[in-house]
Amino acid sequence: MVAYLFRRTVALLLVLLGLVILIFIIARIVPGDPARIALGPLATADQVAEMRGEMGLDDPFLVQLWNYLTGLLQGDLGKSLLSSRPVMDDLVAALPATFELVLATIFLQISLSIPLGVLAAVYRDSWIDNITRIISLIGVVTPGFVLAIILQLLASYYLTFFPVTGRLDPGLEFSATKTGLLTIDSLLAGRWDVFGSACLHLFLPSIALAAAGIGQVMRITRSAMIEVGSRDFIEASRSYGIPEQVVTIRYMLRVASIAPLTILGLEFASLIGNAFIVEFVFSWPGIASYGVRTILQKDLNAVIGVVLVSGIFFVVANLVIDVLLGFIDPRNRLRDGSSK
Amino acid sequence: MSNRILEVSDLDLSFTTYGQRTKVLHNLNFHLDAGERVSLIGQSGSGKTVTMRTIIGTLPMPPGKVENGSIRYEGRELLTLSRKQRNRLKGTGISIVLQDPLLSFNPVLTIHRQMDDIVRYADMRSNKSRSRSARRSHIIDTLKKVQLADGEHILGSYPMQLSGGMRQRVLIGMSLLNNPRLLIADEPGTALDVTTQQEILNLLNTLVSEEGLTLLLITHNLGVVREMADRVYVMQKGRIVEQGTRDEIFASPKHPYTLELMNSVLPLYGDKVVDVADTHHEENAIEIRGVNKIFSRKIGIIRRKTEVNHAVREVFLDISRGDIFGIAGESGSGKTTLAKILLGLHKPNSGEVTIDNQNLDGFQGSTEFRKTVQIVYQNPGSSLNPRRTVADQLKVPLKFTGFSPENYHARIEELLDMVELPRSYASMYPHELSGGQKQRVAIARALSCHPKILVLDEPTSALDVLIQNSVINLLHRLRDEFDLTYVFISHDLSLMRNFCNRVAIMFRGEICEQGRTRDIFANPQHPYTRALLSSIPVITAEEERLKPVVSKAERDAVLTTTTELTD
Repeated sequence: MVAYLFRRTVALLLVLLGLVILIFIIARIVPGDPARIALGPLATADQVAEMRGEMGLDDPFLVQLWNYLTGLLQGDLGKSLLSSRPVMDDLVAALPATFELVLATIFLQISLSIPLGVLAAVYRDSWIDNITRIISLIGVVTPGFVLAIILQLLASYYLTFFPVTGRLDPGLEFSATKTGLLTIDSLLAGRWDVFGSACLHLFLPSIALAAAGIGQVMRITRSAMIEVGSRDFIEASRSYGIPEQVVTIRYMLRVASIAPLTILGLEFASLIGNAFIVEFVFSWPGIASYGVRTILQKDLNAVIGVVLVSGIFFVVANLVIDVLLGFIDPRNRLRDGSSK
Repeated sequence: MSNRILEVSDLDLSFTTYGQRTKVLHNLNFHLDAGERVSLIGQSGSGKTVTMRTIIGTLPMPPGKVENGSIRYEGRELLTLSRKQRNRLKGTGISIVLQDPLLSFNPVLTIHRQMDDIVRYADMRSNKSRSRSARRSHIIDTLKKVQLADGEHILGSYPMQLSGGMRQRVLIGMSLLNNPRLLIADEPGTALDVTTQQEILNLLNTLVSEEGLTLLLITHNLGVVREMADRVYVMQKGRIVEQGTRDEIFASPKHPYTLELMNSVLPLYGDKVVDVADTHHEENAIEIRGVNKIFSRKIGIIRRKTEVNHAVREVFLDISRGDIFGIAGESGSGKTTLAKILLGLHKPNSGEVTIDNQNLDGFQGSTEFRKTVQIVYQNPGSSLNPRRTVADQLKVPLKFTGFSPENYHARIEELLDMVELPRSYASMYPHELSGGQKQRVAIARALSCHPKILVLDEPTSALDVLIQNSVINLLHRLRDEFDLTYVFISHDLSLMRNFCNRVAIMFRGEICEQGRTRDIFANPQHPYTRALLSSIPVITAEEERLKPVVSKAERDAVLTTTTELTD
């Protein structure tokens, strides 16, 4: 297991290095002079040239890359042209909001999709199965942004207790300093009013973000459960008198969860990317909103930073799921390395 | 009778699917007395397994429905018991051992977890409570009953870490955890190698006599029945067509179906054995000279260590043109690797292979090579593409060997004629065909480009005995007609005895013995061959007498028993 983790971590770092280099190259290839963008159309050619020198743009490409990478190791992502603050600071400010949204989404996906999938399999072809089938169909076929807008409209006209923008009611004074996550920090501080407001604000965006994944994973859980249910060892467990609920959860679900977890992993990994649109619709002050702004402004250092963050999230999410699968399925970890 | 354990009377059972009711068990009557070993025999589809599941109570109802009759366990009617009372009997009154020891375990839980659950929930139902360690020592004691001394080690393992024989033992242990009185065993050991199978059968016999178990044995293997059963019921299409003591059934079977079953068992010794004549071709179709194949893979954190498996070791073989050359051996003996080397799918690490007077190096992969060697796989269900018609599948090899498209149609019809299938089958999909018909299609596909050599990898072991014989006859006929050479890979020595003119026995990657089939079977020299032959369950006393007798010491010298962890 240790060997497995070690190898996976090394692979992870290599993937990230590759990602940084790739993004850096792309950022340098796209037309448009960053110095000119930074200074605006009114700057003179001399001023631009001076700025180029200051930004290191006249150095050979490899030197630029090297400087960027060494800076990266020290946590320096360069300066944002837009806010003229270090990109790192901007990211740190925007990250908790996105992180909270993504965590809420993951929570919704896991807690809804797998139990509903199991129910659908256990009560196959009953009304429960049919309802979950409709839910998953709607979730899969509706694009996240459409769902986001529909939810927003519903909330504005009917479900008015759901706020449609932002993270917190404007009237509430609270700064999340410990973890940056409003829900956690408000609980730690005992501020129930803030906690309630934060949860309400989270609800609609996370539903919009989670819907596709829920639908997909629910169906996969269902079919995996049905497939595993027909295997010999389930028949054997029943014959040895193990109660039906235990057979379902411990014997069937444990084996059947492998496929849905793999899909969930991919789903999580793509959440930040999907969050771009949902955050935009709900004016969620997260990294995606920041990303959209910086891309439109061609703020290259910031764009690299945003891509890097979503890259890290992607790779780490995959790693976590792989490790989880290793724990659930001994065949994964035993095949790899140890004696047999 | 007071010591009657199980009595099934007048049992009728039907299945309802899509509103259609099909009766699967007809007026079933049988019983088991305490300490008896009773066998239910029949081909697949005869209703054996449905009967088993109805008795244990795991048959889903609906779609199943008991129309009539009763099942009594120790005098109590099972069919009217409440669900709770019925569940209480599972594992504690009646227990089962399913056929495949690997598939019967949950792959992601340790053996301990699975066995502990069985004990714990049985305790809960009978309002007992034992500490975790008390349960553990009970489990270890039970493992001792199945002759597994190293219980501690086994309990910490996952099913895949144990050998096949050991898994089967643990599985039997599992069924015994709550001291059932009746054990139902579904094809015990048939998924294992013969030598292991024999150990398992001996174990079951010991358990019946020492633990006072009653055994209901469900099998299609008459050899196993002869070694294991006191009384026999023969089932056909959901009916019991004949019953009697073992000696009655084997000495004078009366029902035509029983006779048919008996005759379909290939004899290992005696007058009925078919000797396959040599074809007197002088030249060799295949020459194998000192071939070695070593599989290695890198393991460990930095992948420095190497795990080595010497799968084929210094093999020399000459296979003459026209031979039906059997390569026998148990799982892991290297026979499949050797076959893959012949097909050019594995490259040997050293040694030379000459096929049809051409060195395999360079020859392999060419169109000419494909026209020389072809293969028929074990399971036609998976070797045929389920989404393509028979004609499409037969076309594939034609396309790759330069056949002109306008001749496809004629060739396909010719091929179907060759394997005795109606020409109309060309437009059918595999799922519309029976197992035997699918294997005929697979044979036709292998023959489509006029090969000289066919590698047959257990071509009949996925088929029922009766169908097996017809496929074998077909293969014999095709060989004579087209002057083919067969390399026949199998673990089934009875089949080999009647099908091959020469055999080689493989043992741990080496060929330990080879020669004319008749000579090898009449006078096996290598202790492994002798152990192998002596383990095969046979159906007549005459064959039993002619089998080599192997003492335990002799056997232990070549075979590791499955009670020890091999590492």
